[in-house]
Amino acid sequence: MSILSLRGLRKNFGATEIIRGVDLGIEDGEKHAIIGPNGAGKSTLFHLISGRYAPSAGAIEFKGQSLANLPPHRINRLGIARSFQVTNIFPRLSVFENIRCALLWPSGYRYSFWRLLDREAGLNRETGQVLEKIGLAGRAEIPAGEIAYSEQRALELGMAIAGGAELILLDEPVAGMSHSEADKAVELIRRVTEGKTLIMVEHDMNIVFELADRISVLVYGEVIASGAPAEIRANAQVQEAYLGEALSDA
Amino acid sequence: MKALAAKWGLWGGYLAVLLLLPQVFDSILAISIFNQMAIAIVFALSYNMLLGQGGMLSFGHAVYFGLGGFLAVHVLRLMEFEAVYFSIALIPLIGGLTGLLAGIFAGSFSTRKAGTVFAMISLGIGELVAASSLIFTGFFGGEAGVSGDRTFGPPLFGMDFFSDTDVYYLAVFWVFVSTLFMYLFTRTPAGRMANAVRDNPERAEFIGYSARWVRFISFCAAGTFAGVAGGLFALNYEFLTDENLNLVTSGRVLLMAYIGGLGFFIGPIIGAIILTLMNFLLSNYTELFLLYLGILFVLTVLFLPRGFAGFIMMHQTAWLRGRLHGLALPYLLTGLPALLFILSAVCLLELSHASEPVLHFLGLSLARDSTLSWAGLVLGAGLGAFLTARSTPRLRRAWEAANAPETRVGRERAS
Repeated sequence: MSILSLRGLRKNFGATEIIRGVDLGIEDGEKHAIIGPNGAGKSTLFHLISGRYAPSAGAIEFKGQSLANLPPHRINRLGIARSFQVTNIFPRLSVFENIRCALLWPSGYRYSFWRLLDREAGLNRETGQVLEKIGLAGRAEIPAGEIAYSEQRALELGMAIAGGAELILLDEPVAGMSHSEADKAVELIRRVTEGKTLIMVEHDMNIVFELADRISVLVYGEVIASGAPAEIRANAQVQEAYLGEALSDA
Repeated sequence: MKALAAKWGLWGGYLAVLLLLPQVFDSILAISIFNQMAIAIVFALSYNMLLGQGGMLSFGHAVYFGLGGFLAVHVLRLMEFEAVYFSIALIPLIGGLTGLLAGIFAGSFSTRKAGTVFAMISLGIGELVAASSLIFTGFFGGEAGVSGDRTFGPPLFGMDFFSDTDVYYLAVFWVFVSTLFMYLFTRTPAGRMANAVRDNPERAEFIGYSARWVRFISFCAAGTFAGVAGGLFALNYEFLTDENLNLVTSGRVLLMAYIGGLGFFIGPIIGAIILTLMNFLLSNYTELFLLYLGILFVLTVLFLPRGFAGFIMMHQTAWLRGRLHGLALPYLLTGLPALLFILSAVCLLELSHASEPVLHFLGLSLARDSTLSWAGLVLGAGLGAFLTARSTPRLRRAWEAANAPETRVGRERAS
């Protein structure tokens, strides 16, 4: 059974239609990559799933439950976490606080103002473990706005995976990284998303073919092909629309 | 363990200072200043829950202060007429509950967004309540205000509240408890998420928090403590007017928090102390008090954007490296001419404002019609400004040297 299914999904901004009828099912535990040329609507698709935008038409279901009209925080509480293409963190809070904040709701703290965070040993230990995982344990006390770009990307990823969400959406997780940094990031993503369902938008084809076990190609708001990496590589329509160039580059 | 001891020491020291102040300065005037400070500290700290910690710029925070105060005065009146039996010690609680209820009401619709929308709504509510206070004279007493009498309650630990000193010790209890709770709030999930929402409301939504609820909780807490401050005000002055909830009071608490430093918990305390002291020391000597306050605010925004607390904290690095002493002389060399400039400028302002032919100010006798007075002041100001400008490069070099990492200084010394 699909953990996430999109049916007839459409999104327009005024007269401009960005997503033009997307049908897609994501299986539990699948690592799914969405590729496509610039402006194809990949990020918009993420914004629709995570609740930043409301769909103009169509349905999104997560584990059989409709996400229609739910605000982002409610969608997140159901078990969908995401990262952003442009780094989106809490710049004045320390790296430690960023991760701890991401752990608060999933750990059941809600809006409580009668519990002191410093005394919550379990929560702080868990925060430390996430920091170890993403390799930022040594940077814990520095304001998140002051660490290096690649570290901020790791933090961004850490915030997405900290809460133990079942479905994780990563929007260009290695964008702007050097080759060696990107290699490390791929290792990291593989490690932290183990046993979870992952959907990612990515431009770098090496990374896509390395991480994904299924790929969907989005062109002008429509999925023109969806299948295993080998099928996508072989698909003539995809090559024509998009891949050929990128593959010869790689 | 050491950090814990330091923390307890800090809070113990805070309480000790609060308790010892009236022993050291025991004049009636001093006690009256301390009472004002106590009220201002709670009020300014509550304001910082909005702006510094929650990123909500409010122009109407006096509403919760004033409403709390008015209700407290009304309870005092009921006690006077023996309609209710209530403890004087709990009057600030009445203010706090009023502030909380007003906060729940106003917060329910104003915390949807931060930024300009929130600021404009707070301004609107502030205007609305201030206007209402002159319309609904039954509750607010119109322009005459409402007065009560704090001496009708049952005595508390032998205090009958005839003197301001009794009020001060009660205020110390409330100031200490309020400060402690406001500090602890910053360490809770709701308080920490308030910082997160301030930094990036959108991201907060994607980790499961409704930015609106987070703001709402901070807003209610800020209203509560503003109400406590209002209750203390009612006890201290036994008298409230529309001035206590209008935009002037809202503006002043913003100034206190900002001048003290929004980014530090202690900032608003410093701001409250500075402004209360300024108010007392200057308003007796000059009619231009508000002008000086305005200039201080502008200068703070321009040169100390993190407030006085931020200025103090700037020296942490130099202090930790044991190089603070290297700054003393450069500070003096820049500070003295700056002081000359400031005093000359102040004299010029006072002289141009003087209604008498001869102005006695700062031990000087300045004649309004004498060219010599004017020329001397202009010269003083010019000399002060020139020497200040001349000495700043040296101060800057000293600053860089004091903050430079160890290795670089070592190399410089070697070369």
